[in-house]
Amino acid sequence: MKLLVVEDENKTADYVRQGLMEAGFVVDVARNGLDGHHLAMSEPYDLVILDVMLPDVDGWRILQALREAGKQVPVLFLTARGGVDDRVKGLELGADDYLVKPFAFSELLARVRTLLRRGSAPNHPDRIQIADLVLDLPRRRATRAGQRVNLTSKEFALLELLARRQGEVLPRSLIASQVWDMNFDSDSNVIDVAIRRLRAKIDDAFEPKLIHTVRGMGYTLDASDAE
Amino acid sequence: MPNRPLRTRRPASLALRVTALVGVATTLVFLAFSWLIVRALEHHFAEQDAGELRAVADAVIKPLREASNSADAALLHRLAVAVTGHHGVFYYVADATGHTVYARQGPNLASLAANRRPVGNIDARELATWQEHGTFYRGAVLRVDGVDSGPYTVAVAMDINLHLSFLKDFQRMLWWATCIVLCIELLVAWLAVQWGHLPIRKVNARIRAIRSSRLDVRLNPREVPLELEELVASFNDMLARIEDGFAQLSNFSADIAHELRTPVTNLTTQTEVALGQSRSADEYREVLYSNLEEFERMSRMIGDMLFLAQTENDPDNLHRADVDLEETVKGLFDYFEALAEDRNVALRLHGRAGSIRADREMLRRALSNLLSNAIRHTPHGATVTVRLTQDDAGTTVSVENPGRKIPEEDLPRLFDRFYRIDPSRQRKGEGAGLGLAIVKSIVEAHGGEVHAASDNVLTRFWVLLPRRKRGLPDGHWT
Repeated sequence: MKLLVVEDENKTADYVRQGLMEAGFVVDVARNGLDGHHLAMSEPYDLVILDVMLPDVDGWRILQALREAGKQVPVLFLTARGGVDDRVKGLELGADDYLVKPFAFSELLARVRTLLRRGSAPNHPDRIQIADLVLDLPRRRATRAGQRVNLTSKEFALLELLARRQGEVLPRSLIASQVWDMNFDSDSNVIDVAIRRLRAKIDDAFEPKLIHTVRGMGYTLDASDAE
Repeated sequence: MPNRPLRTRRPASLALRVTALVGVATTLVFLAFSWLIVRALEHHFAEQDAGELRAVADAVIKPLREASNSADAALLHRLAVAVTGHHGVFYYVADATGHTVYARQGPNLASLAANRRPVGNIDARELATWQEHGTFYRGAVLRVDGVDSGPYTVAVAMDINLHLSFLKDFQRMLWWATCIVLCIELLVAWLAVQWGHLPIRKVNARIRAIRSSRLDVRLNPREVPLELEELVASFNDMLARIEDGFAQLSNFSADIAHELRTPVTNLTTQTEVALGQSRSADEYREVLYSNLEEFERMSRMIGDMLFLAQTENDPDNLHRADVDLEETVKGLFDYFEALAEDRNVALRLHGRAGSIRADREMLRRALSNLLSNAIRHTPHGATVTVRLTQDDAGTTVSVENPGRKIPEEDLPRLFDRFYRIDPSRQRKGEGAGLGLAIVKSIVEAHGGEVHAASDNVLTRFWVLLPRRKRGLPDGHWT
C-alpha cells in the first residue's frame, strides 16, 4: 500500500510518515503544494493525505485536479480550522474523509485503514473467529471457548467492530462514532466503561486475554497476548 | 468605514435638510401673504376707481336727463362743464343712433361705448381696463334714458397709471422683502440647527473618548435632549454588551493561559526529569505514555475551545433538520447505558415532544454533556430523569438528578468557560470545564436558553428551545 502525504509542517510530516511506515505502508512525503500536486498526478497511490493549508498550491486545488483528471484515489484531508464550511467544501470537492488538527495519530491510522478497506472488496463474513472467540454475525451471538456469552446489542456491536478490525488500535472517538454514532468528543469515560463491561464478559474468565488497552490511544482486539 | 464597491449616496446633511425646509416654508408663506396683500390693494383701487367713475357718471347723466334734445347747445355746454375738480377723468356721450353727442380729448371712448355692453350701475368688478398710447385707463359704459329724447350711451374712463405704478412699486418692494426675509430666515435656521446639534456633538465627543480600557463609561441619558435619550440608552446597552463580551474574552484568554500552563509545566518537568539520567526503555515508555495522556487532554481542550469559538462567531451556521427528540434522547441513553449501569444509576425518559428543527449533532452534543454531568453527580441507586415538554413557547428538555445541592452563588456562573464548582476536581479527567459552556453556546445558537436550579433534593438543568415562527426560512416546529 503506497500513500502520499502532502504536508508543509516538517515535524508533522516526519512523524506521520514514520508512523505510517511502521504501520506497514510505503509513504511518500511532499512538503509543498507543487510537489504534492506533481506526485499525486503522476504516481499511482492507494491514498492521499492532504493538508489544506499549503503555502503555494493549496489542498483544495490538488484535490480538484485529481478529481478532474478522473483519479478516484481516496483522499483524506487535514484541516486546522475544523470549520464546518471547510468540511463541507472538502467533501463536496470529492474528499473521502477529513481530520481536524490537532489529531491523534491513532485516529489518523484508523481512518486511513477504514478508507483503504472501503476500496477493497467488501468483506462480510458470517463468522469471525479470533482464538476461541467466535462471533456469529447474522444471529448476533458470541461464544468464548464454546460457551455462549450474553451481550447487549451495543456490546455486540462494539465487539464486532473490534473483531473486524483485529490488531488495529481503535481510538475511543472512532469507537464512539462507529458504535453509537457519536461524532463529537464526548465523555470518553463512557467507552472505557463499555470496554470494561465487555471485558468482564468475554475476557475475565478466559485466557488468553483478547481486548487490550493501548495507553493514550485506544483499544485493540488481538489474539497475540502482547501488552 | 469600509469602502464599499457600490457607491451609495449619502443622505443630505441634517442641517441642509432643516434649512431647506424652513426656507421653502418661509418663502411659500411669504409669497402667499404678498399675493393676498396685492390682491387686496388691487381690489381697493378698483373700488376707489369705481366710486370716482360713479361720481363722474352721475355728473354727466344729470344734464342728459334734463335735456330735451341731443343737439341742444345748452346741453353740450352743461356736459362740458359737468365734471370739474376731477383730473384725468374722461367721458363720452352718444345718442341712440350712435352719433357722438359729446366727446373730448382723451382715450377713444367711442369704440368702448360701441363695443362694451352697457350696464345700469357701475360696479368695481365690471370695469374695463385697457391701454392706449402708453396710458392705462379704467372705464365703464352706461345707458341713460333722457326725458324726451332716446336713450344715451355714456362712457366714462379714468387714467389709472398712478395706481398701477404704485402697485408695481409695492410689488417690487414685496419681492425684495421676501428675498431679505428668506436670507435671514435661512441664516437663523442654519444657526438654530447648528445650535440644536450641539448635544449630538457633545455626545460624539464623549463616545470618542471611550477606550477599550475604559468600557465602564456610560453616557447620562438625562444630560441630553429628550430626542437623543433613546439613542444614548441604546448606546449604553451596546456598551454594556461590549463590556461583557470584552471582559469574558479577556477572562477567557487568561483562563486559557492558566489551563495550558498546568499541563505544559507537567510535560516539561516530566520530560526534563526523564532525560536527566539514562533509563530503561520501559521507563521512557512510561514517560511517553504519560505525556500522551496529557497531550490528549490538551488537544481535547483545544478542540472544545475551537468549537466554542465557531459556534459563537457564526451561530447561523447550523445544519437544521427535523430532529426527533425522543429518539435522540433514547440514542443518548444507549450511549450512556454502560456508564450509568456501572454507577448503578437509572436513566428515565418522561414526556413526549414532536420533532423540532435543530442541528442534530449539536443538539446531541449539548444533551450528551448535560446527561454526562447528571450521571456523574447522581448517587448510586438513584435515577436521572429527562423530561420533554412542549407548549406554545417552545420545547423544554430538562435533565434532573438527585444529588448534592449546587450553591446558589455558583448557579449563574456554571455556564462560564472553565468554571468549576470545586477547583480541586479539575484534573480528574472530567473535562476542562467547558462542557456547560458548550451546552450554552449550542442552545443559544438555536435561539434558546439554558438554566439550572438546585435544591437539597434535586438538581435540574433545562434547555428551552423556542418555537420558530412559521414562514421563517430556517424551520419551525413540525
